[in-house]
Amino acid sequence: MPASTRDDLAALVKATKAAASPFRTYLNQLHQRFASVKDGKPADYIPELARANPDLFGISVVTTDGKTFNAGDTAQTFTIQSISKPFVYGLALEKHGRDFVNTKVGVEPTGDAFNSLIRLDEKSKRPHNPMINAGAIATAGLIHGADSTDRLKQMLEMFRKYINHEPQVDVSVFVSEKTTGHRNRAIGHLMLNFGMIDPNVDETLDLYFQQCSILVTSQDLAMIAATLANKGINPVSGERAIEARYVRDILSVMHTCGMYDYSGNWAYSVGLPAKSGVGGGIIAVVPGKLGIGIFSPPLDERGNSVRGIKVCQALVEDLGLHIFDCEAKASELMPV
Amino acid sequence: MPKIISIHSFRGGTGKSNMTANIASSLALHGKRVGIVDTDIQSPGIHVLFGMDEENMTRALNDYLWGECLIEDTAYIVTPPPVKEAGGTIYLIPSSIKPGEIARVLREGYDVARLIDGIRQLVDRLKLDYLLIDTHPGLNEETLLSITISDALVVILRPDNQDYQGTAVTVELARQLEVPKMFLLVNKVPAAFDREQVREKVAKTYNAQVAGVIQLTDEVVRLASGGVFCLLYPDHPVAKQIRGIADLIVA
Repeated sequence: MPASTRDDLAALVKATKAAASPFRTYLNQLHQRFASVKDGKPADYIPELARANPDLFGISVVTTDGKTFNAGDTAQTFTIQSISKPFVYGLALEKHGRDFVNTKVGVEPTGDAFNSLIRLDEKSKRPHNPMINAGAIATAGLIHGADSTDRLKQMLEMFRKYINHEPQVDVSVFVSEKTTGHRNRAIGHLMLNFGMIDPNVDETLDLYFQQCSILVTSQDLAMIAATLANKGINPVSGERAIEARYVRDILSVMHTCGMYDYSGNWAYSVGLPAKSGVGGGIIAVVPGKLGIGIFSPPLDERGNSVRGIKVCQALVEDLGLHIFDCEAKASELMPV
Repeated sequence: MPKIISIHSFRGGTGKSNMTANIASSLALHGKRVGIVDTDIQSPGIHVLFGMDEENMTRALNDYLWGECLIEDTAYIVTPPPVKEAGGTIYLIPSSIKPGEIARVLREGYDVARLIDGIRQLVDRLKLDYLLIDTHPGLNEETLLSITISDALVVILRPDNQDYQGTAVTVELARQLEVPKMFLLVNKVPAAFDREQVREKVAKTYNAQVAGVIQLTDEVVRLASGGVFCLLYPDHPVAKQIRGIADLIVA
């Protein structure tokens, strides 16, 4: 049998198995169950996000053997926002190595809100962690390149490997973030003042606003999460998106800092490395097994998707996914 | 014990629906609750063997697939008298034979995943011992899905070179889909053929278990799908053979 035929056959078999899996039915039921939740409201600090339809709701799961499960509005695009942070951190690690990056940004949770301004550790000259805005801007500053286009290209190429298609930047969200991002601009310049980042701070801020404005779907998010779950290799394309040795760095900061000032509670009750964004996305990683991507714009007061949190809690409960749960029984629903 | 059994053939005209009705009846004769789903939506036919026609078919699988009713609402009790006497029950979920309904499926398609959900619900809600799926010939999405959720697959073929080649495709896919049990059933074998030779050839070609080699007899031809052969001619050698095959599949 020619290789192409074998690949086609394998893809068909995989898609068929996913469609026939009881997990698909379960995911649809989960979607139905939480579609009626009407709490929270979309982020409103820029009009582009405030306009999001609060009813949009997609749940996607991709397994480390490449099976894809979708329920609801899983092809709807939205901006990735803070979910981009761990991956740019990964790119910085690949470029500079762990030791150097550690001198530029810490790994200590702050318990502060996502847009906290004041927590800059002046002594160590580094922001507390790469998941808060200060840390993410400092991390973006580590993506060096010939010029701003080259820096953006590197970042988009990195995301392409995770999502398995060319990423697009939502220009209107980018411009909106850029023109109204006074707080982030202030953080950037404050860090420049303390000598924490390189002088081309405006270019770095542009890169940061661009990284936040990348368009994704819940399926993209699940693919990104599954890539981390799969030791850094995209489970569908087989392409490596991040060196295996840095997967643990990314997952560790997601686990301790990924859900803003809800991170401790999240680590305790859900027990999965995760990251949320104000666009309404959440990713969660079950190492070795699967990646979860959820999209639902209404946020709670901490900036996390309300339905996203509920779906993760239900999945963890029903499938026994909490990484420290030593009593979890292998669930029959588990798609891997 | 297999619960869901798909009956498939790569090409049409192998006697797939007839065999499905006969295997279902043989299983039900043991006092079991047996369901049959006709997923051959494009060319339905098995209802004929149980005496159903357009007149007495108010609902069909199509109505469920369009989201207009529950799957169990489309199930008809079609238990033939000998099965009833034995304490068995046969439910049939027919596909619509109305030209408009068939046209709608061809034009609009339907959510195949919904079919799979429905099949699983049927087993639970009708408390079935066995559910047989009469599939559309050839390979399409619903057939692949049916095979995937099945505990056993029966592939029917005739001793014909076109059937041999096509069956190889089905067998290969079924292996990759990891169906737990797979049987080949050679049907419509002319009387002049040496059945043991046919069995050996088929078993060797596909490296799979041959559940039976059934001769084409005058009685079957004359019955012309006018009923379930096994029940009408219970003492005929073919009827005995099919009963043995049914027992083998669910063993």
